[in-house]
Amino acid sequence: MKNFKLFLLTLLISFSYTLKAQTADEILNNYFENTGGKASWTNLTGLKMFAKVNQSGMDIPLEITQLKDGRQMTVVKFQGQEIKQGVFDGETLWGVNFMTQKAEKNDKEATDNMKLEKNDFPSPFINYKQKNYTVELMGKETVDGTETFKIKLVKEPVTIDGKKEESVSYYYFDTDNFVPIVVESEVKSGQFKGLTSEVKMSDYQEVDGLYFPFSMTQGIKGKGGGTITIDKIELNPKVDASEFKFPEEKEVAKPAEQEKK
Amino acid sequence: MKKLDQILIGIFFIFPFLINAQDQNKQIELKNMFGDLKARHIGPALMSGRINDLEAHPVNPRIIYAGAAGGGVWKSNDAGTTFNPIFDKNCQSIGAIEIDPNHPDQVLYVGTGETWTRNSVSIGNGLYKSTDGGVNWNKIGFEKSERIASIIVNPKNSDEIYVGVLGALWSDCEERGVFKSSDGGKTWSKILYVNPKTGCADLAMDPKNPNVLYASMWEFRRTGWSFESGGKNSALYKSVDGGKTWNKIHNGFPEGILGRLGIAIAPSNPNILYTVIEAEEDTKKGLYRSDDAGEHWKQLNNDFGITVRPFYFSRIVVDPKNPDVIVKGGLSGSISRDGGKTFKDLGNMHSDIHDIIFDINDSDRMYVGTDGGVYRSWNGGTTMEIVENLPVSQFYQVSVDDKVPYNVYGGLQDNGSWYGPSSATGGIKARDWNSIGGGDGFRVYKHPEKNIIYSEMQGAENIWRYDVEKKLIKTIQPLPKKGDPKLRFNWNAPIIVSKHHSDRVYVGSQFLHRSDDMGDSWKVISPDLTTNDKSKQLQENSGGLSKDNSGAENHTTIFTIAESPLDDQIIWVGTDDGNVQITTNGGKKWNNTIQNIKDLPKNTWVYHIEASSHDKATAYAVFDGHTQGDMNPHVYKTTDYGKTWKSITTGQIKGFVRNIQEDYVNPDLLFLGTEFGLYITIDGGKNWSKFTKNMPSVAVHYIELQKRTNDLVLATHGRGIIIIDDISPLREITPEVMTQKIHFFKTEPKIMKDQSGFSGNFGSETQFVGENPSSDLQIKYLLPKRHTFGKMSLDIFDQEGNKVMSLPPGKLKGINIVNWSYRLKPPKVAKGKTFSFGGFTAPRVKAGTYKVVIKKGKDTFEHEFVLKYDSRTGLSEADRVLKYNTTMKLYNMTQDLAYQVYQLDEIQKNTSDEKLSSDLESLKKSLVITTGDNYVGTAEPQLREKMADLYSKVAGSYDKPTQEDLDNLKVIEERFKKAEKDFDKLKKKANLDVLKLKTFEEFING
Repeated sequence: MKNFKLFLLTLLISFSYTLKAQTADEILNNYFENTGGKASWTNLTGLKMFAKVNQSGMDIPLEITQLKDGRQMTVVKFQGQEIKQGVFDGETLWGVNFMTQKAEKNDKEATDNMKLEKNDFPSPFINYKQKNYTVELMGKETVDGTETFKIKLVKEPVTIDGKKEESVSYYYFDTDNFVPIVVESEVKSGQFKGLTSEVKMSDYQEVDGLYFPFSMTQGIKGKGGGTITIDKIELNPKVDASEFKFPEEKEVAKPAEQEKK
Repeated sequence: MKKLDQILIGIFFIFPFLINAQDQNKQIELKNMFGDLKARHIGPALMSGRINDLEAHPVNPRIIYAGAAGGGVWKSNDAGTTFNPIFDKNCQSIGAIEIDPNHPDQVLYVGTGETWTRNSVSIGNGLYKSTDGGVNWNKIGFEKSERIASIIVNPKNSDEIYVGVLGALWSDCEERGVFKSSDGGKTWSKILYVNPKTGCADLAMDPKNPNVLYASMWEFRRTGWSFESGGKNSALYKSVDGGKTWNKIHNGFPEGILGRLGIAIAPSNPNILYTVIEAEEDTKKGLYRSDDAGEHWKQLNNDFGITVRPFYFSRIVVDPKNPDVIVKGGLSGSISRDGGKTFKDLGNMHSDIHDIIFDINDSDRMYVGTDGGVYRSWNGGTTMEIVENLPVSQFYQVSVDDKVPYNVYGGLQDNGSWYGPSSATGGIKARDWNSIGGGDGFRVYKHPEKNIIYSEMQGAENIWRYDVEKKLIKTIQPLPKKGDPKLRFNWNAPIIVSKHHSDRVYVGSQFLHRSDDMGDSWKVISPDLTTNDKSKQLQENSGGLSKDNSGAENHTTIFTIAESPLDDQIIWVGTDDGNVQITTNGGKKWNNTIQNIKDLPKNTWVYHIEASSHDKATAYAVFDGHTQGDMNPHVYKTTDYGKTWKSITTGQIKGFVRNIQEDYVNPDLLFLGTEFGLYITIDGGKNWSKFTKNMPSVAVHYIELQKRTNDLVLATHGRGIIIIDDISPLREITPEVMTQKIHFFKTEPKIMKDQSGFSGNFGSETQFVGENPSSDLQIKYLLPKRHTFGKMSLDIFDQEGNKVMSLPPGKLKGINIVNWSYRLKPPKVAKGKTFSFGGFTAPRVKAGTYKVVIKKGKDTFEHEFVLKYDSRTGLSEADRVLKYNTTMKLYNMTQDLAYQVYQLDEIQKNTSDEKLSSDLESLKKSLVITTGDNYVGTAEPQLREKMADLYSKVAGSYDKPTQEDLDNLKVIEERFKKAEKDFDKLKKKANLDVLKLKTFEEFING
């Protein structure tokens, strides 16, 4: 029945959108309505996603937690090890060093930029005006053969290597069903700085009334990328606050010999 | 959702016709079907290519822009260390870049059409504006301007913009002169115009008083056979009222007519101006200076470096901090530190310097744009270092060989001839390329059998035959014999190697020359095949005020030669003055078929002829009229040896045409190279679609199709060599295929690649590295519509029906490509304190037939393919079996150990029996590493590590396991058997019922 519903939904929308010109707000409203309703999205307190990323044939399991207050964490599972990456408790951003297997803090700039995203759950578009974000409909564009509405989102400026830079991303909403299928933004730091990063989204599926893309392919535009496949999404998960806290290293007791001296 | 359902069902019944309407509209829109088919750029960047303009960000010294003559706009975020392209969707020939000084991170302008007007220049198509730092661009006018020399935004008012339009090079044009907008580029008025032959070559604004402007106007014209610089309309003008009125400022200028003039203001003292003047008398040419804002001028210098080739070099740049430090573009570039009285050359770098910028804070740091890319200096121009990641190389031609991997060969504007591999370990780096000719390079071919390469320099001044192994060079170009007239070779003289006789080579002057001994001797096999129009042969008078007879204007020459792949007696010849000649008897008799081509402007340059590989009588000819001012595409086909020609040009093609390539399999599949990109038809030319997947709108000068790989190889004139790997899916796209829910494209049996190597990446951090093709098995299928909602999966099964792999499927509309490395998943490895690196190895599957199963919604689709072993490793069938079985034995043992350790951990976690726990702990310490880290704190390897390392060694080798390996395996096996026994004893002591351990299958798949 689900497929049938979707088919009808698509049909309705593809028929109706041609009747009137679209504004960015209408497109965003359609998106939220088609994927569960703005109220449900606003009431969401967090997500836990059980996913895997395919790296040249090897599936690496991931558990990604994102909470409304900005806390988040990704747990990578490797040969029975659980390695935390991109953990943010609202103040500190940290991850586990693969070599030493110990937690290390990310640099201050990355942490400060992460703090700016605290109000972006579950979508930066919710109440974007109150956040002083700007949203602009740039028109229709065909991406990979599919017609989309291109929407530009400008968030708070980020700081990169000591300089403020605009934070701009482009969302491409499928004109048939108003869900975003591609998101593009400029890579701000690292080896690929200046290139465009691209996330392609598909396999939208319903979880307790909300629709999420269960497949996301991320990479540098024009160069292909890795696909994250989501197996399960848990809404409003219960979390242990201590899991997000940076584990301070305990001071190692001085060896007895030294004490003697 | 409930209510919505009801509405939807209602709608469904009211509008059932919608579904039918959708079904009927089944026209193939190829441009929306390319999907995962995308271009791969292999550069190279080591010789880079011509840069027309450089621009520095006004306040952020990290940001630099470079405008390439044929390779688009590039932005550096690291002070010129590396660059990224930001203008790929638009015309790639760049004249000028301007940054709005008031909104430098948002508002950018790009004027297209290069302005250093050599013979081989491309064309522009207008002025573009970005308001988001170069991510999105809109064209804001000047469609017919062809070349834009300058753009200046008033620093005090961003809405006020001045544009200096040089205009058309080969024809009259009224869209020239100086234009002004007062509304940010929405509307324009022409504020300085002389006549249809005179354009604005340079424009300057007083930085302190934006109403003061200087404009140099230049009268110039090029034809296919000559160039003329200078005339009575060339002049330097000044306006003090924002362009309302203009006056000539020639007080102190030389007498007589003038040519191209450059103009520069010293930013630190706007009363000081410099101009470089092309004049009638050599003694009066050169650099002039004014210290009173143009009231009076005084000549300072007429050195070679200052006066050389004004059409190519007339840029003057003044140090922003010091009015007496000036730099002039030229063959080597010149710098003066005494206000222009004396000059010395800039440091060693590629010759032909077109633009220079200074760092905004530190004048010791300079950037220089040359015919060989961008250079940086840290010491005021004495030492120059090249930017290594600007692949803006300008190829004239490309050919390929049949090696594995195949090599590409080609010649470049001012950068010689090169060959390099289409794939290399770790990517195609600068060091993978080999020089195979000097000067300007053009056509390069590998001998079909011998290790010999032919290459040439401009005007066939040299045609080289290079013995690659012995490193012997012989010069073999045809020479006139007694009684012969002077041979006229094109600047880009055609050479081809016969498809029928491996030692046979053809070269075109006005005659067709044939050699059957690799160029040792030549025979003329045609009369003069050109119009032999003497009025187009006066190149020694070319240049105008500055004589310029480089050979670049040689005309009435043969430009393209095509031998029929089906018959060595059929040869086509096309000339630069518009003849299409054919012989069907090896040159005994020639027939000019040009009169059979209707509606083509007279004497239009025949750029390429493609003799069909499907039918002897069929050929394609493309014509390029741009040197007569005709920018339209002209594509023709004959099926009767040229008796009749039919146009297969459509309005979908943008830009004049340089090349066409016919597919070897499907005669309706054609590829077209135009000045603005690549076009493809799957219906013999009824409809053309632009290919834009990772493919910039760059001029495509030559196309080759590699027969074994079906790779389309493009010689671009500005973005190096671009490859589209395996175009074979395009052969299968038909209206019927489009009606299927999914269409699997044919999968050729895939040889599992055993070759590998060491990539040695050091030193390439800031280099352009060419992308490699995938060596994976590629599953290709067509979806008529994007999959966005619901589940879709892709699994691979072996012949016994075992699932060997699950992969993320492609979901794009059109062609999807899913890569499989023909490996299983890596084994599940026992949990230890650290990683077992050997355990990351995934084993190869066996050769054989496999099945891919795609599930999409309720539908299931299946497709079979075959994997084969690589015979080059020399392994027998028995060797392969031994290798596979040994690998899998270790793979399974690794997983068994993992399960054992899992059980051990679970028991230990849940037991209160201290003795048992301690016994388990000591057993575990012998099974896996329990201390240390993943780097140099690593602990002594245990059974897991030893097992995984042997597994990785055996699985990772191309070869069968050695006796050494098998002996080692025995040791490990025994050790593992003992561990199993020990564990079983301990296991009996545990209370397994309470534990509810996972089964082996649950553990492995969990």
